[in-house]
Amino acid sequence: MSAVATEAPAHRRRTNWLPYLLSLPALIVCIGILVPFLTAVYYSTLRYRLNLPAMKGFIGFGNYAGFLSDAAFWNTVRVSLEYTALTVGVELLFGLSIALLLQKRTRINDAISILLLLPLMTAPAIAALMWKLMTNPNFGVLSYFVQSLGVKNFQWASDPESALFTVVLVDVWVYTPFIMILLLAGLRSLPKQPFEAAALDGVPRRFVFTRITLPMLMPYIVTAGLFRLLDSIQQFDIIYPMTQGGPGDTLLVFQVRAYLEFYQYTNVGKSAALLIILWAITYALSNVFIKQWLKLRERARGLA
Amino acid sequence: MEHTSGLERALRGVALALIVVFFLFPILWIFLMSFQTNEEILRIPPSPFFTPTLGNYAALISGKLTTVSGTLDIAFMRNLWNSVLLSTASVAIALVLGVPAAYAFARFKFRLGEDIAFTLLSFRFAPPLLVLLPLSLYFQQLGLTDTYAGLIWVYQLIALPLILWIVRGYFEDISPDIEHAYRVAGHSWWSTFTRIAVPLAGPGIAAAGLLAFIFCWNNFVFALILASADKQPVTVGALAFVTASGIQYGQIAAAIVLSVTPTLALALYAQRYLVEGLSLGAVKG
Amino acid sequence: MPQLAIRDLRKSFKDAVVLDGVTLDVEPGEIVCVFGPSGAGKTVLLRLVAGVETCDSGVVALAGRDVTEAPPETRGVGMAFQNFALFPHMSAFDNIASPLTARRAAPATIKTKVEKIAALLKIGHVLEHAPRELSNGQKQRTALARALVADPKVLLLDDPLRNVDAKLRYEMRLELPSLLKASGATALYVTQDYKEAMALGDRIAVLIDGRFVQVATPGAIYREPASIGVARLFGDPTVNLIPVEPVIRPEGLTVHIAGCIVPLSRRYEHAAGRACMLGVRPEAILVDESPMADGFPVELEAVTPLNEKTLLLLRANDGRELLASEAGEDAAPRRHGVAHARFDPDALLLFDAASGERIPPKA
Repeated sequence: MSAVATEAPAHRRRTNWLPYLLSLPALIVCIGILVPFLTAVYYSTLRYRLNLPAMKGFIGFGNYAGFLSDAAFWNTVRVSLEYTALTVGVELLFGLSIALLLQKRTRINDAISILLLLPLMTAPAIAALMWKLMTNPNFGVLSYFVQSLGVKNFQWASDPESALFTVVLVDVWVYTPFIMILLLAGLRSLPKQPFEAAALDGVPRRFVFTRITLPMLMPYIVTAGLFRLLDSIQQFDIIYPMTQGGPGDTLLVFQVRAYLEFYQYTNVGKSAALLIILWAITYALSNVFIKQWLKLRERARGLA
Repeated sequence: MEHTSGLERALRGVALALIVVFFLFPILWIFLMSFQTNEEILRIPPSPFFTPTLGNYAALISGKLTTVSGTLDIAFMRNLWNSVLLSTASVAIALVLGVPAAYAFARFKFRLGEDIAFTLLSFRFAPPLLVLLPLSLYFQQLGLTDTYAGLIWVYQLIALPLILWIVRGYFEDISPDIEHAYRVAGHSWWSTFTRIAVPLAGPGIAAAGLLAFIFCWNNFVFALILASADKQPVTVGALAFVTASGIQYGQIAAAIVLSVTPTLALALYAQRYLVEGLSLGAVKG
Repeated sequence: MPQLAIRDLRKSFKDAVVLDGVTLDVEPGEIVCVFGPSGAGKTVLLRLVAGVETCDSGVVALAGRDVTEAPPETRGVGMAFQNFALFPHMSAFDNIASPLTARRAAPATIKTKVEKIAALLKIGHVLEHAPRELSNGQKQRTALARALVADPKVLLLDDPLRNVDAKLRYEMRLELPSLLKASGATALYVTQDYKEAMALGDRIAVLIDGRFVQVATPGAIYREPASIGVARLFGDPTVNLIPVEPVIRPEGLTVHIAGCIVPLSRRYEHAAGRACMLGVRPEAILVDESPMADGFPVELEAVTPLNEKTLLLLRANDGRELLASEAGEDAAPRRHGVAHARFDPDALLLFDAASGERIPPKA
């Protein structure tokens, strides 16, 4: 015992501060998000119009209460929900079907699955322009196709009747590959034994799909679907470049409307309130999503 | 176990062909359009046969757009340059900031780290305008409106969560004992981080960086709100270009092709990592 | 001065106490095997000495310097991890050289030293290979070479033979002692295998539930285990334990076993009247077909010849099972049925039934 010298150790305190130092930049970015977020919460309780600064004042839930009787607001809710339901629904169905078609690892299937990623990697705003060019009433190749099929006067995004269809089509074009590639990865990571057992027992393929494939794929479907749901309800990048929310108020989804409230009508308070409502919806959804996502992440890391 | 009938195989083939056409036709068509003159584009019926011209690209690159009513200056090359600058700088900074943070979150289980990681994650799914609109007012006060610095800072919102969550997973997959062994051998914390952890997480860092680049490049709304013409990237610039040039469809198509080529090329190059990146590390490809 | 001094080291994870005040001195050149069941805290102890984990309280001193708070790279220890922990992106050579590069040795020196240790460990021919191209045995030797190459103050070996196959383990068990002695290293060697501990350790430190219950030479631990727990951990088959209550009778100290009276050494007289546990090593049971003095009748139920010994399963009159072992294959009776057993009085162990601690005989 006496032999243990007690000269001053070279390093007294260990690296406990290290993780904090390392995450400092991320923390600053976090604060950089939280400050404007809280500001937005605050603005949403104000009567605040940039063109009428004198009228600025606290009105509590005034902006929110105003929405209740505002038909335009309810139109926004309806359009947003329609858009979300349509895009996510179609993309899930379509994406799942493609993933099933490409499930087998063959050279051609792999090549196709890679090629299908190209729309996903196209900036949505640019994709909107591409489709705008293709649906141009004067020379658009799609307009021509539709006309040759005998549909007269199909005005695509310029007609309130078909505007939603058009932007949903673009969304489907861009984002179906997202669902497809996630589900394809999911399908290919499923254990083989249940399928081999089912094949041995001669279980009909429809049964295999509904009783084995689908339930086992469910975590992937839910994650991919929620991922898209969260993005889709916030749609901006396609609708704004394509139609700016028009024609009329047909495509005034939450973010487009908030953008216009802010810049066109300079109504900061109302715009903020709209976004807070949207945030509340996405926050609730993202909590569900993050749980699912963490489960899947654990699983993926377990496989590695 | 293949009992697929000929009919079924034929149907599958047809379905796949239709799918490929649906997803690739727009890209192909715009690509073809970019080599056509306006007269060829406006032909009815549209035809895939034409004499290709590089005129549209030449006009974009020279920045002079000749129309019937005279020449028009176009800043599209500047937009392209802005996109390169913004995306590259944002990803570089996000890597410098994010990789050490990802390491901290992976190695040291601490409350603040989890809070930061999840805050960034949950704001990844929050409406961007919610943060951007108040931020645009702050930026005016701070003098950051329409500066590269301001934009790069905001682009961290895109790049950082991606890098944090993907790279974190790669760090977690490295056995801590490998790092311990290096330190016991006599190497400092920093050299263990740079010579063991970073090289071993290399593929993940590269994948996250490439994806972050693609997402920064493809972003539209950030620059729409925070940048004016001379700082705008291609996504916003192309839209402005359409409004300004009106009917110069060949040049628009050429601009679109130039805008999407870098990301499509990167995507093809990095496709192995896309699944993992797109799911923020939840699904391995 | 001990090369490694550990004083009252404590470590908990959340509510679980892993090390509950551990003290140990390791002299220069000495090999101490830390032996204990899994979950006893052996690996944590090594990690605390290496500095890759921090203790709650206590002191770790290396060659007289308190390193309790020092980061691992300043401690100058060498460690072989259970899972090898080789750097997957470096060649075997670079793996082994890493402690030398950290000390900024000259390239020529590095080359000489690495090649020397590699030759000693018979991996000279695979130095250019990446870890994934090495066999398990070569990985293990690479990890050992890496730990040894820089002449560490203390060599920490975390169950290095755990993850290698049986044949290799056997070879290494023979090879390691001379290797360690040759390198002159002071070593702390963690193992779960008592034979390994007995073969390698100058001393064995038995760690149970976060405490050293005994630190002694292998022979002493086997002959004089500190407790029932220790006695059980050493020996294969394990010690027979029989509850007894020694009584003093005219003819001497005796215990009742299966209705028979078995004599005990008078030196245990202080245990008379206490509830005890008699520990009988299998080789301390002598079995014969004919009755013996101080013996008792048993039923011979099974005979299992092994290479160097024969195991006998006996059943006493009260139904108690006893395991005996005889050296060699022919010495023991082979016929099942009635036999007689006798305990070697000098090899008996007596434990306090309540505390489990050994009752030492009076001198």
